[in-house]
Amino acid sequence: MASAVQTTGLSHDERRAYLFLAPLAVVLMGVAVFPILYSFYISLYSLKLTRPQRAPFVWFDNYVAVLSDGQFWSAVERTVIFSVIAVAAIVILALLVALLLNEQFPGRRVLTALLLIPWAIPYVANALMWKWIYDSNYGALNGILYQLGFISSYMVWLGDADKTLALIANAFVWKEVPLAAILLLVGLKTIPADLYAAARVDGANAVKRFLHVTLPALGPSFALVLIYETMMAIRHFDLFFILTEGGPGDASSVVAWRIYVETFRNLSFGIGAAMSYILALATLALSYAVIRALAQRVAA
Amino acid sequence: MARIRLNGVSKRYGDVVAVRALNLDIRDREFVVLLGPSGCGKSTTLNMIAGLEELSAGELWFDDALVNGIPPHHRDVAMVFQSYALYPHKSVYENIAFGLRMRGMAAAELDRRVQEAANKLELAGLLGRRPSQLSGGQRQRVALGRAMVRQPAVFLMDEPLSNLDAALRISTRAQIKHLHEEMRTTFIYVTHDQAEALTLADRIVVMKEGMIEQVGTPDEVYERPRSMFVASFLGNPPINYLEGAIEGEAGAPVFRHGSLRIGLPAGKLRRVGGAPVMLGIRPEDVLHDGVPGNSVLTGIVDSVLPVGSDRFLGLKVEGCDVFVRVDKASHHVQGERVSFALVAERLHLFDKASGASLLDARA
Amino acid sequence: MSVPRIRAPRLRPRWGRSVALWAASAVLLVYVLAPVAWLLSSSFQSEREIVSRPPHWIAQKPTLANFAAIFSAGERSVTYETRRAADPASGGYIPSTASSLVPALGNSLIVACAVVMLNLLVGVPAAYAIAKIRFRGRQASLYAILATRVIPDIALVVPFFLLIRNLGLLDSLWSLIITYLAVTVPFSVFILVSYFESLPDELDKAARVDGCSRAQTLTRVYLPLALPSIVAVMLFAFLASWNEFLLALMFTQTPKSQTLPIIVASFTSDFTISFSFINAAGVIAIIPPVILAIAFERYIVSGLTTGAVKG
Repeated sequence: MASAVQTTGLSHDERRAYLFLAPLAVVLMGVAVFPILYSFYISLYSLKLTRPQRAPFVWFDNYVAVLSDGQFWSAVERTVIFSVIAVAAIVILALLVALLLNEQFPGRRVLTALLLIPWAIPYVANALMWKWIYDSNYGALNGILYQLGFISSYMVWLGDADKTLALIANAFVWKEVPLAAILLLVGLKTIPADLYAAARVDGANAVKRFLHVTLPALGPSFALVLIYETMMAIRHFDLFFILTEGGPGDASSVVAWRIYVETFRNLSFGIGAAMSYILALATLALSYAVIRALAQRVAA
Repeated sequence: MARIRLNGVSKRYGDVVAVRALNLDIRDREFVVLLGPSGCGKSTTLNMIAGLEELSAGELWFDDALVNGIPPHHRDVAMVFQSYALYPHKSVYENIAFGLRMRGMAAAELDRRVQEAANKLELAGLLGRRPSQLSGGQRQRVALGRAMVRQPAVFLMDEPLSNLDAALRISTRAQIKHLHEEMRTTFIYVTHDQAEALTLADRIVVMKEGMIEQVGTPDEVYERPRSMFVASFLGNPPINYLEGAIEGEAGAPVFRHGSLRIGLPAGKLRRVGGAPVMLGIRPEDVLHDGVPGNSVLTGIVDSVLPVGSDRFLGLKVEGCDVFVRVDKASHHVQGERVSFALVAERLHLFDKASGASLLDARA
Repeated sequence: MSVPRIRAPRLRPRWGRSVALWAASAVLLVYVLAPVAWLLSSSFQSEREIVSRPPHWIAQKPTLANFAAIFSAGERSVTYETRRAADPASGGYIPSTASSLVPALGNSLIVACAVVMLNLLVGVPAAYAIAKIRFRGRQASLYAILATRVIPDIALVVPFFLLIRNLGLLDSLWSLIITYLAVTVPFSVFILVSYFESLPDELDKAARVDGCSRAQTLTRVYLPLALPSIVAVMLFAFLASWNEFLLALMFTQTPKSQTLPIIVASFTSDFTISFSFINAAGVIAIIPPVILAIAFERYIVSGLTTGAVKG
């Protein structure tokens, strides 16, 4: 006698899975998903905490206001400049470090451990450290350049609008290189030694081996580092808050800083929320574009 | 000690059907082998019996209990895996004892069972070691021990010998056979190795693409395969096929292929019509010194293949390749023209289109 | 046919490679350690010494006064008058928020430990389910979890701030613990899933047939084997919490809940700045994370690789 007994609803396994995922889901729903949605909701209102009673629904007016604000676009420009400088430097330095750490030599483990120091310290401490180094009156940067004879008298560094972004980028890069280097190192380690052996037999010297074996195989790790660091650079806040507070003037007023100012100093929550969303969308679009571009290259 | 019944059991993964409406009745204490190529659904079926996979449709019965929704840790089954799946962080003793511990067995009884199994499997001196310190064969025995001590109602084995070298495989096969006789439990064994199946099974279930092709004793599936698939799968070296047509039915049917004519046993053929048929000849079914009668195979020797214990000839018969087994002492050279007598009763005949056997099942 | 003559290659001298490696290592070491070394050196200098031009690279009159000031800040009463009277150059000056440094250390520690524990409690079962149980929406779950991190923290702050304020939970450690948990758990889950997936599936099957429920399989079989990744998760979660700034800035207002980064940052925004004190505070802020990172260095690296463990 054959009768088909259909197992309806959730299987035993599925119930267990959902049970195990439940706490995580609750946390993320409540603390990540809900705020994201609520934030979007706020961005549709003209909500200023200076006059909280009157909060009219304004559709996408906030977005329009932001996108047509010259200040906003200047901030975008600065963000782009900062990110490009920072990410380029990070990627190049991280690659060099990863190549170094991929070689075998005594003390390599110690070096790797020490390399983690910049990554481990809080951004606040990082900011303080560099603020002290960049200090116009007593800073180490001035001291070294002066002692080596490169400058004849102490210069202003962070207070110089032309140099600000580069200096902040330097502090950012210093702290980010270790992680990027380790991600690339992991990618390097997965390249089979056979590929190098084959290249050697084919007559490729070190440079050729690097270009034709190492770089292509690093593709995915590269993409990962590129995307991750770009995302981090675009939304970075801590250094801008502690080192320059967006100054001097507007010189380091990036989008993340503008969002903070609008939200917590001007108390325009609606505008602040709209700006955050634009930033988030830009991040998403960028990541997607980079993934696509690199995926195509890898497939080619 | 359980009778297992599968009624219309199916397993679907999304759009892919791994097992299709399976009906199978496994008797208590029987040694059943699920045999088939990879992807035929045999492991999936085993996993469903274990409870590791849920049924998409159908019923699974252990004796008189419907066990569909019961998770594996509440079923009385033990399993040996292809990769042994020993717990790396536990000692051999703990690996074997784990199942008993999880079921809350008393310490004294637990220890007794573990020691008994260890002695039987020659693991007594290795109880303190970790799996990483054991050889492949030793690990396999630990896996066996882990299942043995549970004294389950059903013993499941998923290609347990695949990772062993040839010599070890043969000796462990014998060990498993002994185990079955001793434990007197239902054994369900999955493999793609037909020799294993023929050696171990009380009954073989030949599977293909999620469905059962044939169920029978080793003798039945080997001597009376019901389809080309089964005939091909069992037997090493595999069966030879010649395509052709049947002439002169009922009375004295003859298989014709080119200029080759082979007489077939009368009265055992089903109606064929004019459809093309495949004649199946097993390499060992040629007579070296028989009197050529109605059924004769003639061909040119293409290659001579001595294989230690045997000798094979690769023949070209009307342009087709046929392998036959010959006497070890015989001499043949390439290009030689040879004839072998065939025993008509041992020939197999299949419909080319469907692959189904054209011989009457009751033979 | 003649065989082409092969010119014997001139071997590059062995020591060329070593020299290059040592040189590169030295450069890397300087790059990494120099700023930190300077921070350390500055923290041992008195206020008078620290303002020399050019700077004293090594403290000529090293002093522990700065550190002493930090830890005794609680006892001294800093009033408007005393603060104005103290001249930074002569030393003995403390920023107004100095007394909060040690309590802030405590807050940071409590928050970080709580976040680590919750990360494990929430993340481990979820990671096991995603890695080992086949269920509807499994792939999507992982993507969804990681996707929550694409939104910049700033976007989370506004609504959360409003919510917390309405709930009256502003200025409590709980607001930090829960937000940090949400921010760190996706990465934790990612690490754990990668590691679980590298552990053989058949162990799971064997355990379940042996009599383990899913939960028991996790605790008795997979957890012991996944220890390296668990250590990595604890490390990342701890460091992320300890170092976090923006959210703490938003949600904390008084020393009751302020964490270390906030207090340290507040020193720079005080009216007059005492450089030696700030440097000492910076040193204190970096010691715990640096020690942890160096001690558990190999877990960090292996936590980012999908570990292949053959037991």
